[in-house]
Amino acid sequence: MNLKKIVVIGAGTMGSGIAQWFTQQKCSVELVDNSDEQLSRALKSIHISWDKLLEKKKLSLEEITEMKESLSIKKLDIVSKDADLVIEAIIENLEIKKDLFNKLDQYFNSHTILSSNTSSFPIELMAAAVSSERRKRFVGLHFFNPATIMKLVEVIRPKDADEQLCHDLYQWFDSKDKRPALCKDSPGFIVNRVARNFYGEPLRIVESDNESKMKEVDHILREVGGFKMGPFELMDLIGIDVNYSVTCSVWEAYQREPRFAPHALQKQMVEEKRLGRKAKRGFYKYD
Amino acid sequence: MTNFSFDNILLNFGFGTKEEKKNILRENPSKKIFMDLTCYDPSEFYSEFPHLKGSFAALFCDELKKIEIHFIEQDQTVLSKLIELGFTPIETSIVSCGFIFPRTIVQIINEAYFALEEGVAKKEDINRAMKFGVNYPKGPFEWSDGREIYVLTLLQELYSKTKDKRYRPSRLLDPTLSSF
Repeated sequence: MNLKKIVVIGAGTMGSGIAQWFTQQKCSVELVDNSDEQLSRALKSIHISWDKLLEKKKLSLEEITEMKESLSIKKLDIVSKDADLVIEAIIENLEIKKDLFNKLDQYFNSHTILSSNTSSFPIELMAAAVSSERRKRFVGLHFFNPATIMKLVEVIRPKDADEQLCHDLYQWFDSKDKRPALCKDSPGFIVNRVARNFYGEPLRIVESDNESKMKEVDHILREVGGFKMGPFELMDLIGIDVNYSVTCSVWEAYQREPRFAPHALQKQMVEEKRLGRKAKRGFYKYD
Repeated sequence: MTNFSFDNILLNFGFGTKEEKKNILRENPSKKIFMDLTCYDPSEFYSEFPHLKGSFAALFCDELKKIEIHFIEQDQTVLSKLIELGFTPIETSIVSCGFIFPRTIVQIINEAYFALEEGVAKKEDINRAMKFGVNYPKGPFEWSDGREIYVLTLLQELYSKTKDKRYRPSRLLDPTLSSF
């Protein structure tokens, strides 16, 4: 497999990070969004990031110039129809995504691989919006934020996707600056499922809203477990609302399996708007 | 299990059944005992055996040998002995079944086994995903390697204490699901 032409749809944090990463792999990348303002902001931010790498002498002027030439911003109706890979990274709304994929299926050449960076929806629900032929070339590619730094890409294979294609994608990412993990199309894929208890179990250890116990749990999991951050400080960083929403989504997707049940304190904190660092109040106070 | 005796103190290391652990306490009534209770609830032992003066969790420690330790009566000679044996004891005031790190890690390991049981991904992919997606220092199967019996025992103990089905083990850890 040789991925040369990439289209990334959605110029938010994830989309622009993905576009930047692919450009750094010497791909020709077209970044697409409905909003001109969003596109300009994303491009400026990527250029600033590259200029910083130049200042730090991590990349040469020639490399930076080449990358800037390889990344363009466009509206959807003028992107290259012969792209090798399209990655959708728009708002997490299933109906909007299905509508988009239906249009993409008709727009792009038959060899183009369509993919979604969703963390919330089964890939099959989106693949249902495209032709049966395209479904063989429809996969999930779940990147992690920031996409230029985090090594993991979950390569998600829905039931109709071609097995060899998924294997080739895995190999391609493996040959680049990524550590891919191949997985089935199931709720939370790997990370958002297996990581749930890093939050859920400590909440059950402390049980109540007790800051000194939370500090102690964070300390032990950093010191003894070797985690970079403890669960309570990490939930505050992620956002209590965001973490609670992912927990509820996985719990519902697994028919309210007790292993994924949210803790009452999470719900209470969302209702009280104690949303973590961004609200200056979460499990801890930030003044 | 391994015991170290010095002065009037007995340090008990290693895995054993709950009864085996309690027998050591019964057989040494005149000693101050500090015991590895990774898979059990220290509060149950403390209430039954007043000469148990502290407990620790060493069964999941890695090459850095950092362990959680809880004291009823803090004892500097015990801390010194643990350091002499190569451990880095980190004190906790929280008394919880399975302590903090083992209790959290067995739940992560159990979920990884469920994902494996359901064919979501291979072991290597699950390990890689957790290390490179959320920066875990090890993959779940690297933590559990050779320690599956400790994982299962702690899950069974947590279920026995709480009756909460969140502690039901994957069939790959307990094919009979004997406790459930």
